[in-house]
Amino acid sequence: MAVAQTDIETLATADKPRGYWSGVGRRFLKDKVAVAAGCVAGGLILMAIFAPWVAPQDPFDGTMIRRLSPIGTEGYPLGADELGRDMLSRLIYGARLSLFMGVTPVLIAFVIGSAIGIAAGYAGGWVNSITMRVLDVFYAFPSVLLAIAISGALGAGILNGLLSLTVVFIPPIARVAESVTTAVRKLEYIEAARASGASAFTIVRAHVLGNVLGPIFVYATSLISVSMILAAGLSFLGLGVSPPNPEWGLMLNTLRNAIYVQPWLAALPGVMIFLTSISFNMLSDGLRSAMDIKQ
Amino acid sequence: MSDAILSAHNLVKHFNAGGWGAARKVVRAVDDVSFDVAPGETLGVVGESGCGKSTTARLLTHLLPSDRGEVRFRGRVAGTEVPLKEFRRHVQMVFQDSYASLNPRMTMLDAVAFGPTVHGVDQPEARRRAGALLERVGLDPARFGPRYPHEISGGQRQRVNIARALAFDPDVIVLDEAVSALDKSVEAQVLNLLTELRRERGLTYIFISHDLNVVRHISDRVMVMYLGEVVEIGPTADLYTAPRHPYTEALLAAMPSLDPDRRTMEAPLQGDPPNPIDPPPGCRFHTRCARAFGPCPGTAPVPALVGRRHLASCHLNTVKEAAE
Ligand SMILES: Nc1ncnc2c1ncn2[C@@H]1O[C@H](COP(=O)(O)OP(=O)(O)OP(=O)(O)O)[C@@H](O)[C@H]1O
Ligand code: SF4
Ligand SMILES: [Mg+2]
Repeated sequence: MAVAQTDIETLATADKPRGYWSGVGRRFLKDKVAVAAGCVAGGLILMAIFAPWVAPQDPFDGTMIRRLSPIGTEGYPLGADELGRDMLSRLIYGARLSLFMGVTPVLIAFVIGSAIGIAAGYAGGWVNSITMRVLDVFYAFPSVLLAIAISGALGAGILNGLLSLTVVFIPPIARVAESVTTAVRKLEYIEAARASGASAFTIVRAHVLGNVLGPIFVYATSLISVSMILAAGLSFLGLGVSPPNPEWGLMLNTLRNAIYVQPWLAALPGVMIFLTSISFNMLSDGLRSAMDIKQ
Repeated sequence: MSDAILSAHNLVKHFNAGGWGAARKVVRAVDDVSFDVAPGETLGVVGESGCGKSTTARLLTHLLPSDRGEVRFRGRVAGTEVPLKEFRRHVQMVFQDSYASLNPRMTMLDAVAFGPTVHGVDQPEARRRAGALLERVGLDPARFGPRYPHEISGGQRQRVNIARALAFDPDVIVLDEAVSALDKSVEAQVLNLLTELRRERGLTYIFISHDLNVVRHISDRVMVMYLGEVVEIGPTADLYTAPRHPYTEALLAAMPSLDPDRRTMEAPLQGDPPNPIDPPPGCRFHTRCARAFGPCPGTAPVPALVGRRHLASCHLNTVKEAAE
């Protein structure tokens, strides 16, 4: 009896084991593709953070002599752009704005969309119906059109670009959050929690969040690539980021006239966008299957 | 009865089954169900699948709002005279699916400790109590406390669910098919645990099951449901030896008996119960009743006292012409 008592005492203060998440980590590490994608995405993020140390040149410093130097030019391994600025440095610096424009709207939309979707899903009934119908109105527009329309109405600028992208991503995230929450709400452990007399808020905090945030987050990460492409599109159209700031979408735009002279050079920002979006997509796929508890 | 610990008064629950306006269809899952449970008693509830047992359980525990009727705890109406939060502390529930009723992301210790924290016990104290309860239901808290639901067996999970209900120090526990999913040997162990706990803590059980042998073993009284209605309710021994409703008779005849001599030759129930969307008029059982007669298709029988604390709703007990 005394032994059992001390067991209980130590348990009461002991930290929780991380059973579930360590399993997720183990399964994720076994997925070679996902790990590779994670490394690429991580590398890109590091590159963006340490751009001043990694970039060989000043991304704003150009001379007309070097205009559109081809890939492999001495001292300019990836050539120079239409204003003679070092392409490699601009691509490295461009990661900062491009990733920022890709990740930030998704993160903000993740917070707001999850809050709306979880609230609607847990409330159920007509609260749910009305919320979802309102979101459907936004959802009915293709995301590109919606982003351009909002951004166009607000005018150019990074902040307006972010805002329009955030608005674009709230409805799809809220939808996923609502459907995941609706499914969880019907499970018996939520009923058991209700039988405890806990308030709706407590039940959502203690029992719902942990079971829905994972899937919603995985879905949100899959939107990062979409967000990057949309942001690049906005910049390409002259909304969003404005010159001379290095941003991949904007670079694609300003280099488009050079496509006949230096096609490979002009394609480089597109390659970066492709590489980044595909690595984030594969990362989120890997996360999703690693979080599947039935494995 | 006024000394009942928990009582149902004319509970009604109809579910929407599609359609609008006049074409709207409803499933009469629970239709005017009344009964009471005395303190310390175990009331068994039996009936075919879909007769409304689980719905009754969820109405009793106020997990589902009733369309009509009320639940009273010690004579006071739950939800109004007894605030819901207090009511929930007194009346707990254990579900059939031991896995689905546990949060997959919560350790067993936390699952048991959650309830008390809702009612104001601080975290360390709640976890200490949870550990002691795990111990009481036969699970070493050091070993099982930190586990997740998918890491333990069904029987162990159901012990955790029982511990979770006990953590509220409840008076009544509604057990909805709580042992039905378990292997026979595990089932017996959990039943023994339930019996011990009842004695130890003076618990009142409402024990729902489709297994008539188990219900007979554990119950003081048994309630038989058919298509959302109570057709018979009475002391276990009386009901099993001298049922006063043909449906109860049929159920008992269909019951696998351990004693081959006691198996009746009479064909028990034929076919499935009728659709609860459109229950038959008159006595709802008349379409399958071997002893249906004159008034059965037209007039619904009302509960009549047929013995001590023994009620049955069948014209055979009340209408004179049936006697011959
Ligand atoms: N949420 C719901 N919506 C619509 N119909 C429901 C709902 N819950 C139950 N029903 C219906 O109500 C009737 C009674 O269901 P209930 O679950 O109470 O039966 P049960 O006696 O517990 O059956 P079982 O033995 O299969 O568990 C069934 O016809 C069922 O289809
Ligand atoms: S009332 Fe009639 S139909 Fe109903 S159970 Fe009794 S005898 Fe059968
Ligand atoms: Mg049921």
